[in-house]
Amino acid sequence: MFINRIKLKNKISIINALSKVLIIAISVFIIPWIVNQMSIRDLDQQLIDNLDKTYALVEQYGIDEFIKQGGDQQAYGSYNIFKEEYISIEKVTDTSLFEEIDYSKRSIEGETFEYRVISATFESGGSYYLIEIGKSINTIIAFQKQVKKFTFYFLLVLLGITILFELAITQYLLRPFGKIIERLKASNHPKNFDYTPVKTTSSDFKDLEENIHGLMRKIESAFNEERDYISNISHELLTPISIIRTKLDNFVNTTQLTDDEMVKIIESKVTLGRITKMVRTLLLLSRIDNEEYLLADKVNLNELLTGLGTDFQEHFEQKNQKFELSLPDQPAEVQGNRELLHILFFNLANNAIKYTPDGGKISIRLFREEGIPLAEIVDNGIGIEEENLPFIFTRFKKFQESGNNFGLGLALVKKIVDYQNFSIEVFSKPGEGSRFVIRCN
Amino acid sequence: MRILIVEDEKSLAEEIVQFLRNEQYNCDIAFNGRDASEMLAVNLYDFVLLDIGLPDYNGLDLIREAKQYNSEAYFIVITARGELDDKLKGFNSGADDYLAKPFSILELHSRLQAITRRKFGQSSSIIRFGNFALDITKLQLLHQATTVNLTKKEYDLLSYLILNKGRVLDRLQLVEHIWGSFYEDDFDSNYIDVHIKNIRKKLSEFDQANYIKTVRGLGYKFEDV
Repeated sequence: MFINRIKLKNKISIINALSKVLIIAISVFIIPWIVNQMSIRDLDQQLIDNLDKTYALVEQYGIDEFIKQGGDQQAYGSYNIFKEEYISIEKVTDTSLFEEIDYSKRSIEGETFEYRVISATFESGGSYYLIEIGKSINTIIAFQKQVKKFTFYFLLVLLGITILFELAITQYLLRPFGKIIERLKASNHPKNFDYTPVKTTSSDFKDLEENIHGLMRKIESAFNEERDYISNISHELLTPISIIRTKLDNFVNTTQLTDDEMVKIIESKVTLGRITKMVRTLLLLSRIDNEEYLLADKVNLNELLTGLGTDFQEHFEQKNQKFELSLPDQPAEVQGNRELLHILFFNLANNAIKYTPDGGKISIRLFREEGIPLAEIVDNGIGIEEENLPFIFTRFKKFQESGNNFGLGLALVKKIVDYQNFSIEVFSKPGEGSRFVIRCN
Repeated sequence: MRILIVEDEKSLAEEIVQFLRNEQYNCDIAFNGRDASEMLAVNLYDFVLLDIGLPDYNGLDLIREAKQYNSEAYFIVITARGELDDKLKGFNSGADDYLAKPFSILELHSRLQAITRRKFGQSSSIIRFGNFALDITKLQLLHQATTVNLTKKEYDLLSYLILNKGRVLDRLQLVEHIWGSFYEDDFDSNYIDVHIKNIRKKLSEFDQANYIKTVRGLGYKFEDV
């Protein structure tokens, strides 16, 4: 999923930004609402004060000051010049007393005004009157709009600044983390790992780094131990093998044996030969791991492959296989170890012959692509099952179903390719054959 | 021929000595570098068979040291490291030949013979059979005055069989001899048969005699008819 591919620092920034946007959204609605509520409360208090003042006036001067008793006028009304306030008193027949504050819309001279209105009834001189005092809330609405706008822009600017600031800070704080990851990515082998401490003031990164270093050192020492172990054990095995071998040779030489007995001894020698080959290959692998081979030779691949073709001549003849060698006119030269390169191509050619039935075809093509020599070993043999392809370079990987055993030959190929900093690709289809391409960059 | 065998593995040393004594070589054994150093200072040897991995002595130092007293001796180095780099090191330090463990004593034998024959001049370095003459110095086969056109591998196989005349050489020994490589695992392969067939064909152009006998199921044997 996409979210799995996002870097930590970006995740943190996104979460920060989202939370801020949320705060802005809320603030833009909440702050004007609060301001509005406070303004209305203030207004209500003013209305109540005004009502009290009016009562006081009625008390002081009597209701006649507003409504003449027995006159035509049964009501009194007054607006101030900007229609921001008004007061109205009228005589009512309803004798219930009440007092309430509410919103009310008034249309005055074609203009609609919204008012906060306090309405109350009172009794004066035996009559009942309804009094209404209104204050326009248009200013409050306008103010609210202004507050909303201001809050929005202010927070937006604040958001921008804090996001940039936080981005810079997280970038700075997480830099050691990125560096640790970079180093892990860069080292394909524990021995190439960069152990210089990463600059950081965060203790958790220090812990992380120390733990990784600890693990790396453990892996490295396990590698070294395994390598030394293989090297020592291989070395130690060759002497006893040598003793058995010599004893068998001597036995054959000094004893009159029947052919059947001879065959048995030869079979033992062949088995011994297999062990020898395996031990020597293991030794070779560990010596490559130990970097005991210098990559100091200028190796002419044209010559090497031509030589190989000649060496395998009797193999092709024996299996009646067709062999094709295609070389560039300009000899391809690579820097490396002659011995290892010979083993590399020998093993690939040997495999091609082994896994191609009698009468098949094997071709080796050497060519350049953008100046880099590429060697291709192609056969039309039994091929490799697709599910086995990822394992062909693994030591001693056996495939029961196909009966193939990749043993050590291809593991050695891969080891040499890596050691030479080359790359190898395999294309294969069961029943159609295999193609190994080595890029000698 | 006097040979000094320097090998810390007693059992192996004794097997080699048993074989070489059968072949009428005069053998001394040293099981460590110190003894070997003393023996080399006192006696003159034609060959020194030296296991480079001695516990008490650097094998290469031993060769350098021994060359002062035994400058004529041939040094054949045995190693369990089995690598070309070591081989080169060995040659730089005065080793004349090199065998990787485990080696065939017949291989050792044929090398000793080849060196011996070369050492004792022109006449000894030519082995005759029928009207053929195998020149192990020039690495060629002649029939009277005509050169028999053998490939390098065919020559190697034929000379190996000839130097071990009368002995059955199995395919393993023959494959090891011509490939000499540890990365060849088809010991039971029939590739050798192709070469033998070709050698027989080339010989039969000059001489109908069957010099190379097939020992069924085992290998081949050279016999002077």
